[in-house]
Amino acid sequence: MNCPVCNQPLIILELNRIEVDYCTNCHGIWLDEGELELLLQNSDEKNKLFNSFLIDNKSKEKSVKCPICFKKMDKIICGDKNKVTIDKCRRQHGLWFNKGELISVIEMGSLDKHDKIIKLLREMFSYNLS
Amino acid sequence: MWELIKSNQRKSIFLFLGMAITLVLLGYFIGSTFSPDGGGLFGVSIAIIIWTVLSIISLTAGSSLILSISKAQEVTPAVHQQLFNIVEEMKIASNLPAMPKVYIINTEAMNAFATGKNPSNSAVAVTAGLLSKLNRDELQGVIAHEISHILNRDTRFITYAAVMLGSIVIISQIFLRGMFYSGSGRRYGSKSKGGGQAQIIFLVIAILFAILAPIMARLLYFALSRKREYLADASAARLTRYPEGLASALEKISECTDELPSANKVTAAMYIANPLKKKGMKLSDLTSTHPPISERIKILRGMMHGVNYSDYQKAFSTIKRSSSQIIPASGLSDNSAIPLRESSEQLKEQQSAIDEKRKMGNIMMAVNNYSLLTCICGLKIKIPPAFGTNKPEIICPKCGNINKLELAGRI
Repeated sequence: MNCPVCNQPLIILELNRIEVDYCTNCHGIWLDEGELELLLQNSDEKNKLFNSFLIDNKSKEKSVKCPICFKKMDKIICGDKNKVTIDKCRRQHGLWFNKGELISVIEMGSLDKHDKIIKLLREMFSYNLS
Repeated sequence: MWELIKSNQRKSIFLFLGMAITLVLLGYFIGSTFSPDGGGLFGVSIAIIIWTVLSIISLTAGSSLILSISKAQEVTPAVHQQLFNIVEEMKIASNLPAMPKVYIINTEAMNAFATGKNPSNSAVAVTAGLLSKLNRDELQGVIAHEISHILNRDTRFITYAAVMLGSIVIISQIFLRGMFYSGSGRRYGSKSKGGGQAQIIFLVIAILFAILAPIMARLLYFALSRKREYLADASAARLTRYPEGLASALEKISECTDELPSANKVTAAMYIANPLKKKGMKLSDLTSTHPPISERIKILRGMMHGVNYSDYQKAFSTIKRSSSQIIPASGLSDNSAIPLRESSEQLKEQQSAIDEKRKMGNIMMAVNNYSLLTCICGLKIKIPPAFGTNKPEIICPKCGNINKLELAGRI
């Protein structure tokens, strides 16, 4: 699977059984269908997040193609206050997060009260974030 | 056992002949449309030629063709040792002359199929989803079912039938589309005055037949494949002496809603369970390639006292409330009691969703030759084979350590 932005092969990172596809070049993250659900196991938080997803047709961000089906992905706005635009495959293959977007989405609206996931992700990318 | 196979084949021959007659009639009517005298025979020969050519192709390249359509990849025992152990066990139990090749399909859907010209030249393919979600007993049931298909010569028969169905569909599609785009066949008819009337009649019959033939052939093809599923279930129960394994595997497969993207209407009949099911949709009995899964499970669970063929037949008759013989007489006469065996493992706790996902991911990565690298900080990095050609090193996103790729060992 190649990075939808820079077309480099993605590598897979695993820490404490959490697994993400990661581009070493642009530091973007790909989550397969269902992986975000696995990351956020609490169903209330999950539903809140997914309900906030909104397709944005007017986004000026450059559109990217799904690394699985190579079809154009939708721009999705998450959250109410600090909006983050992520890419979602129209055929439900997965989600693409540019550098730092995944952590912002999970942090958003105090989705994760225990901060377990955020801590893990921060740890996973501590070198890149600093 | 030979008698069983023979009898199974004899029954299917009628259905097979039905398809052959459909093909010949289709050729005849289409040929007659173009010229009433002699055209019919010409049409029949064209139809038979198409079928022969396709059959030869499917016989010589059949297995590899089907495997590549289904996106199955051949694997070594290193990728999934347990799968190989089970296949070998079942090969020995069933007296198969040669070890089937083992393929894995990289998908979350749960399914399996077998293919091959004959028992000494065969292959079984299972999906990664199946491997990650089934325990050993269940996997053994599925493999036993597939090996039974190979043993009963179902794989070859289904290939022939699939090709015949394909030919019928191709011929009627060419004819119907040809009619549609050329306006009508009357252009030819109006030239000869005498034959005009007959030609129009033939044209109407041909169009009707071209529409109906693929439907009829499909129904016959489906009936053909449904019959064989019951016998393969019965053989699987006998081989494993543990019908519950296959029953609970089928249950898990029916609960899984992932569709298999690489399956189509024709290859569907080869899988252990219909790969084209839709969420919340119940296929009607007639157009389904497989008997309803719930019924197959009930029959397997109804085998309370033994795993002989007669036990399966008894359970079948009670549950279906029908007297139709699934198992030929010779199989029923074998009354040696074969007792059920115990489950080989304690009921495991339900795997968590993450565990399942990881297990499947690891199978898929092993199939695709990923390298595994553990950084000194504990972060596991899995690298696709395509990556190494571009860059010699990976900077760990967690600790910044530079990991040289030559040091990476294979999973």
